[in-house]
Amino acid sequence: MLNAVVILQSIVSGLLMGGMFALLGVGFSLTWGVMKVINIAHAAFGILAAYIAYWALTLYKVDPVLSLVLSTPLLFATGLVIYRLLIQPITRAKDVVVASMILTFGLAIVIENFMLLVWSPDERLITTSYSSQAIFIGDIIIKVSSLIGFILSLLGIAAIYFFLHHTHTGKAVRATWQEPEGAALQGINLQRVSMITFALAIASAGAGGVTMAYMYSFNPPAHNLWLIFLFLVVILGGVGSVLGSAAAGLIIGLIIGLCGAFFPQQWINVLLFALLMVILLIKPQGLFRT
Amino acid sequence: MPRRPTAFVSFFVLIGILTLLPLFRPPAYFLSFLFKVLLFVILAESWNLIGGFTGYLSFGHVAFFGIGTYTAAMLFQQFGISPFVGAIPGGLVACVAAWVIGYPCLRLRGPYFAVVTLCFAFIMDLTVKNLAFLGGSEGIHLKLMQMEIQTSRSIFYEIFLFLALVTVLLARHVERSKFGMGLASIREDEDVAQTLCIHTAGLKLRAFTLSAFFPGVAGGIYAYYISYIHPDIVFDINMSILIVLMALFGGGGSWMGPLVGAAFLSVLNEFLSMFIKPEIARIIYGTMFMAVIIFMPDGVVAYAKKGRRSPSEAIGYGQGISGDVSV
Repeated sequence: MLNAVVILQSIVSGLLMGGMFALLGVGFSLTWGVMKVINIAHAAFGILAAYIAYWALTLYKVDPVLSLVLSTPLLFATGLVIYRLLIQPITRAKDVVVASMILTFGLAIVIENFMLLVWSPDERLITTSYSSQAIFIGDIIIKVSSLIGFILSLLGIAAIYFFLHHTHTGKAVRATWQEPEGAALQGINLQRVSMITFALAIASAGAGGVTMAYMYSFNPPAHNLWLIFLFLVVILGGVGSVLGSAAAGLIIGLIIGLCGAFFPQQWINVLLFALLMVILLIKPQGLFRT
Repeated sequence: MPRRPTAFVSFFVLIGILTLLPLFRPPAYFLSFLFKVLLFVILAESWNLIGGFTGYLSFGHVAFFGIGTYTAAMLFQQFGISPFVGAIPGGLVACVAAWVIGYPCLRLRGPYFAVVTLCFAFIMDLTVKNLAFLGGSEGIHLKLMQMEIQTSRSIFYEIFLFLALVTVLLARHVERSKFGMGLASIREDEDVAQTLCIHTAGLKLRAFTLSAFFPGVAGGIYAYYISYIHPDIVFDINMSILIVLMALFGGGGSWMGPLVGAAFLSVLNEFLSMFIKPEIARIIYGTMFMAVIIFMPDGVVAYAKKGRRSPSEAIGYGQGISGDVSV
């Protein structure tokens, strides 16, 4: 029966889910905005981090939150290497956006098959000691694992926002995004800024992947589906905008939550993808264009 | 036709050998393998009409293949029409779908068009899975062809050989026609093309609709070939990506690129899979593809023709091929 509690419940769980979309999408949005690089392998890195967390949990009983301390710097370093090896050579292309998209499709294939090789195509689920616990607020149920994922996402986005607005390097990143040539004239090393942005994006994808693993089961080919969600976040939130991505993530979560209350489960993704097509056709510059 | 007589002769000799191949009764496995190679040649070459010639990267090409498959399968199941005939309406339905999607979506450029087409492929996959009358996520079983396996494989092989030949020759014809010149102008600079009174919207829509026909027909025949149809097989998003990679590996924008790319990569894939795990094969594959994009941005065919260009020149897909367009 549809009543206030059901709707409120779907709003709450939708918002919790939305935090994860926001964290997963914010890095994708940054590389697109700052470097004009669309990293198709972004979601694949998220799933890679989820697998690292899964491994740490099942083999060494390390909590996923703790394993983030290990996996985030690891992915940051991976991001630096990948930028040097793959992305830098194509930054001189006439159409970087399209060239990077094609290139990272290749990268996504490599990562996906690496994961298939190491972890097999089985669906995995992160089960912690608190997975089955929940908090009750009135009639509303909040799963502890979802809450942890949500808090992680908020922290991650806050950290990225702080970095971009209150550190010297972060300000350089924003300057590059607004006017690359002007930034270069002010003595900003564009390559270095791009490298940091890319590595940061990959690291945030990793954190996003772990928060995702708190709520969903995952397997290597799932990154193709996640990619659509990333595009949805970026196109809703505006390319390169951190707060826009956060808002877009929450909106998407809300839509998924509310649709879940009114439509059969299997049609939700169709609806979302159709929504993305419609948004692209009507307002391709995003709803929160800064 | 090719300007040099040697190319002309070797072309006919190759086609002759491939056509007469089933007469020598090769193992059925070998015919199936060639069938798959030809399938990718058809898909990559037809993708080239929109993705290569105009530079509009469509990641939803597999959707047209799936639409063709399902149309032919439904016609076979409901009305008993042989898929060999039903493949034609399959292609036409794919064309209609391409027109309906292309009309609004071809206004979007670059990554936005790529996303919309990717979305379209996902929507088709999920919709078919959710519709019970199309078999849903259980798929459709078709009646097998009542023939010896060698004969049936030979028939499928010959049909695909013919279809691949038509696709390649059409792509070659388009590349050298006024229509193809218009498409190339869109790839080089759409805004300039528009100011020169080239009706870019119409050309793009025509190219997109035309490019959907061949995967549709191939899909119809493929339905009969595999006889079990499931959305995961015929709307596989990885196949869509593979088509793009194959075409760009060889080099989009020329008729020869996708042919070389599809043939080379599918042979390589099959060959590697024989000796090592398919996952490792695909890792090698992906790495090779990235190397091609970085070092030979116009694909291996253009690289082989022209030799290496300095990396400071515009790197990127579809650049610098303009000189190759012959009238």
